[in-house]
Amino acid sequence: MSGPIINDETTKTTEKKITIDPITRLEGHGKIEIFLNEQGNVARAYWQVPELRGFERFCIGRHVQELPVLTNRLCGVCPAAHHIASTKALDAVFDAEPTETAKKLRELFYMGQYTHSHIAHFYALAAPDFVLGPSAPSNKRNVLGVVDAVGVEIGGEVIKHRSYGQKVQEIVGGRATHPCFGLPGGVSKQISEEERAQMEEMAKSCVEFGKFTVKLFHDVVLGNQDYLNLILNQDAYYLETYNMGMVDKDNKSNFYDGDIRVVNQVGEEVAKFKPSEYLDVIAEHVEPWSYMKFPHLKKVGWKGFVTGPSSGIYRVGPLGRINVCEGYTTPLAQAEYEVLAKTVKDLGVTGPVHHTLAFHWARVIELQYATERMLELASDKSITSDDIRGPFKEPTEGVGICEAPRGTLIHHYTSDKDGLCTSINMIVATTNNNAAINASVNQAAQALIKDGQVSQGLLNKVEMAFRCYDPCNSCGTHALNGSPALEITVRRADGSTLKTLRNF
Amino acid sequence: MTDTMNRSGRRTLVVGVGNPILSDDGAGIHIARALKDMGLQGVDVEELPASGLELLDMVLDYDRVIIVDAIVTAKGAPGELRVMEEDDFENTVHGASPHGINIATALALGRQLAAERMPSDIRFFAIEAADVVNVSEKLTPAVAAAMPSIIEKILAELQ
Repeated sequence: MSGPIINDETTKTTEKKITIDPITRLEGHGKIEIFLNEQGNVARAYWQVPELRGFERFCIGRHVQELPVLTNRLCGVCPAAHHIASTKALDAVFDAEPTETAKKLRELFYMGQYTHSHIAHFYALAAPDFVLGPSAPSNKRNVLGVVDAVGVEIGGEVIKHRSYGQKVQEIVGGRATHPCFGLPGGVSKQISEEERAQMEEMAKSCVEFGKFTVKLFHDVVLGNQDYLNLILNQDAYYLETYNMGMVDKDNKSNFYDGDIRVVNQVGEEVAKFKPSEYLDVIAEHVEPWSYMKFPHLKKVGWKGFVTGPSSGIYRVGPLGRINVCEGYTTPLAQAEYEVLAKTVKDLGVTGPVHHTLAFHWARVIELQYATERMLELASDKSITSDDIRGPFKEPTEGVGICEAPRGTLIHHYTSDKDGLCTSINMIVATTNNNAAINASVNQAAQALIKDGQVSQGLLNKVEMAFRCYDPCNSCGTHALNGSPALEITVRRADGSTLKTLRNF
Repeated sequence: MTDTMNRSGRRTLVVGVGNPILSDDGAGIHIARALKDMGLQGVDVEELPASGLELLDMVLDYDRVIIVDAIVTAKGAPGELRVMEEDDFENTVHGASPHGINIATALALGRQLAAERMPSDIRFFAIEAADVVNVSEKLTPAVAAAMPSIIEKILAELQ
């Protein structure tokens, strides 16, 4: 294979507004708008998402036990995360403590989701930029081009192990895509010894594939000085925000259960809270140009799209999690975590990693952790027990939180005495990251677009600033034609459209 | 490619794609449910509330697949049906949609990785949607009205 294409030729634009719409390789139909000033430099860039209307109204009045299968319909990408957060919210609504078997089965199922999701993101969304290069032609910069470059055999392994993640979810969760096994206090389905053994074998293979992926990341990304320069580019890809994520009692990263920890810009803990306390920590700001709200730390406050200790903006997802935790409970993930820690320390970084593109490294470490934890749980013969449901009480109110692959996911329900839903509030992972994504897009656009000089490669580098968050916009599956790959609308200073450029 | 994607021995599949609680986005799912209720002989009918790679898992080892989904075009009338083939999506292979891989890209990936297991005949029945942003289990009136004739056309295709 030839080397990746890092840069391409720019051309000068005299326009004042550039719209990237819809963003390539992103779930949902987002767009970026870049406003240029008279000098052709970036005055401000925004990331906007479409609205999905009426979900709250759709849920109110339904039985709360329907919510784990309704809320997971919000999304064709991470339905498993919604199902888990929703089921945990029901545990709280019904004051029901799940049995040990049920907890293990839920977490095993969830490690299948992480395996599937992180493989898909790394190989289908991130790899085109890192294998083919951010400035490779857009019709090649996709998963098909990656397979062309790395070979059909590796491509087959990617598909196989992603499918193993799906299969584990199907065995434990009843269905691969929209699971239906979560109940307050437990799960609805016992698994057999045969199924357990089957999952153990798949998990073993996934652990090896995790090792392969870590090595690939080292070889292809960290071994290439051009990429290191991109990752370390503090003008384009660096935000000193707060970080948020779930940890266990020892402050080790956990995706299924634990407290939510928040650390500041130098890594000091500033909050640690239970799900039921989230409204004490998180407030939501509204901007007129966006349907999606902007959560921030309540006590610090909203100061706009600026970073630093006086701004309540925080990051969630792989980078947020790796910054709030003190390591992993599994050996291979812990070893790679220590490699990352040493590498950034050698580069002079103390405290949290604020380099936006380090999301990718964190995600690879999390893939390794998820596969190892999946193997631990699948190897535990006690998970075939029939003790899958605990007692529950009258329904009231409850909050459930888990770490979706994209970040902290919060479900909050209230119920009347008959179990009918009277209110529902959700803060999804991408919403938690909304302010940081906007700040990242603005920063990258301002750093990369100078004097009106633009190119597809430069615009893709702006996209890379948010793509690493793995944002999931509208939480819905989409029409057949999806969306065209890239559309740039150039507008006059008054906002009227002058010209539309498309690459399709 | 692996054993995990194996399906039944039948060789014709109809798969309805969409989100059943997102108005017309669920048109394909509504069609799939109607076809299932008919108990067609020799035809598998599946619902797919996701797309992309999940679709690839589903179609492997079939000879012939009909994919029914919603579509949003600039000039289409709600409920209008277009019958398309893989080549019609050439321009979207590299495009957006679920988790980086849309349906066309997923099928192209299948032809790249496991050509021998891919269906020789894939057709898309694309139904023009009016509303794909409001959460609802119901189709809009124009799309709902078009359902019987679309089902007839799919049945004719299966003859």
